[in-house]
Amino acid sequence: MTSLIESTAGTADAADVADRPAAAKATWDAFRRNPLGILAMVLLALLIVVALVAPLLASYPRGHGTAILRPPSAAHWFGTDNLGRDVFAEVVYGTRSSMLVAAGATALAIVIGVTVAVCSAYFRWVDGVMGVLVDLFLSLPVLPLMILVAALVGPSLQTIVLVLAFFSWPEVSRVVRSQALAVVRLPYVDAARLATGSPLWIIRKHLLPAVAPVIAVSVVLTASRAVLSAAGLAFLGLGDPNSWSWGRILFEAQQSGAMQEAWWTTLFPSLAILALVVAATLLSIAYNDARDPRTRKD
Amino acid sequence: MPPLARFALRRVLRGVVTIWFAVTVTFLMLRLLPGDPALAVANPNMTRETRQALLHQYGLDQSLAVQYGKYLWQLLHGNLGVSFSQSVPVTTALMDRLPWTLLLTLSALVVTIVIGVPLGVLAASRRGFWDRAVQLSGVVGQSLFVPSIGIFLLYLLGLKLRWFPIGGAYTENTYGIAWYGSVLRHLVLPCLSLVLVQLGSYVLTLRSTLIDALGEDYCTLARANGLGERKVLWKHALRNALLPTTTLVGLQLGFVVGGAVLTETIYAYPGIGRGIYEAVTQLDFPVLQGAFVLLSATVIVANLLTDLAYGLLDPRVRTA
Repeated sequence: MTSLIESTAGTADAADVADRPAAAKATWDAFRRNPLGILAMVLLALLIVVALVAPLLASYPRGHGTAILRPPSAAHWFGTDNLGRDVFAEVVYGTRSSMLVAAGATALAIVIGVTVAVCSAYFRWVDGVMGVLVDLFLSLPVLPLMILVAALVGPSLQTIVLVLAFFSWPEVSRVVRSQALAVVRLPYVDAARLATGSPLWIIRKHLLPAVAPVIAVSVVLTASRAVLSAAGLAFLGLGDPNSWSWGRILFEAQQSGAMQEAWWTTLFPSLAILALVVAATLLSIAYNDARDPRTRKD
Repeated sequence: MPPLARFALRRVLRGVVTIWFAVTVTFLMLRLLPGDPALAVANPNMTRETRQALLHQYGLDQSLAVQYGKYLWQLLHGNLGVSFSQSVPVTTALMDRLPWTLLLTLSALVVTIVIGVPLGVLAASRRGFWDRAVQLSGVVGQSLFVPSIGIFLLYLLGLKLRWFPIGGAYTENTYGIAWYGSVLRHLVLPCLSLVLVQLGSYVLTLRSTLIDALGEDYCTLARANGLGERKVLWKHALRNALLPTTTLVGLQLGFVVGGAVLTETIYAYPGIGRGIYEAVTQLDFPVLQGAFVLLSATVIVANLLTDLAYGLLDPRVRTA
């Protein structure tokens, strides 16, 4: 009996594996035909490359320079700030730390959010408690809460990552949970419940693969929101004072009054933030459209 | 009890619980996070003796449960502590600022709706170029960083073109009509910044709900009755599509408050947000805590009102 169940489970898995590349291929084919999606992907890849090879592009901006508040030129592509530092170098290194913070915060938020979401969907009693908690978190103004915590603990890279993660997971959980709830009600999950006594196995083998696309979208959106929140905190002076971030460039431009005369000190970090967030949003929209057979037109 | 009353009661109860949650979260954070609890009530530059005296005075040497009870009791009396940087009660300091934040966010909301509804209708009814254009600008709008757009408007319309004042909320020494005029002119740039960052999500939501509504049976029936497409759109579909958009207004409030904090910081607008910024630079924790509690309460009450309005408009919600 056991062997029979195991063998049917085996064939089901095999069919699933055979299906998956086909579905992935259809999604990719549809995605490729969307110019905005491709553009977004290229833009994101470019920003990641900039973050990775930052030391090759510019030397770390520190100290004081003699050329103060110079407009963009061949020597300083993005001009210089009020202390004569190269804005291009600041933006390049800012890409590095902004992406690092976003990646760290997103990884944490996704792990917590997805765990809470699938457990809520699978175990009704968890849903009772966590559902209320998530709702409560989502109805509070997040930025003032983050400000309070960051000011209290003191600004550092770890603080920012932890604060962002701690206040981002409820949104992840809300989105993933609603999808997971729909999956849990499907007949094949009931069948799996009969076949095995291990909820962990069902969650790992059936629930997680089924919600994987929602998680993927959630990763991108959480990361882009984390970039905005981190920049917001840095703009209020709550960023890590020891590393360059896009928010810190804006903060210093405002503090020193440089923003009133030197448009380049604020334009370029602003464009960097905009490029990253727009690319992330467009990528998730294009992916969703490509994945959905109704919008795919194939 | 009639269903509407039961719905209202349940909703009010939930609001009360949410406020309690916000208050408790702040309490726990200030007490349990690493950091000196004395900092939460006093100037960071104090002597050891002052610190001990303060801990005792504020009951910070008592057990957590006792502290919590006292904290709730004081809050019920509207006591949020004393701001050390201004030596005035936090409640007074913040209440002076609250009207400005309300003026800013509410005016931004009105302008967003006035611009957003026609844009959403345009995108939903003319598929093709206009639809794509509105959608793309919606996505870009959603992705704007508030300080970026604020600084841009300040630079262009305030400093270069000199159309609008770049900071503050009114001109000193003006009275009567002139004062109201100056308030209005000072409001333009911060308000416009907030509108630009929140417009995108409203338009996108309205667009998709409108498209769904236009495919519903009642719209088909209205068309079959010989009603023009324009009438179907404005009289039938829009009315129903506005409901989910109303929910969005409530859900977005938390983000709008965050945007207001950043906007007020840029324009030195004397609202709660600027107060938060100033409190951060002086590590004035009573003000930071009070501002969070007050903003949460405002958001929760506004959400409650939206939900009650929704319940009045749509009988289906009451039973849900």
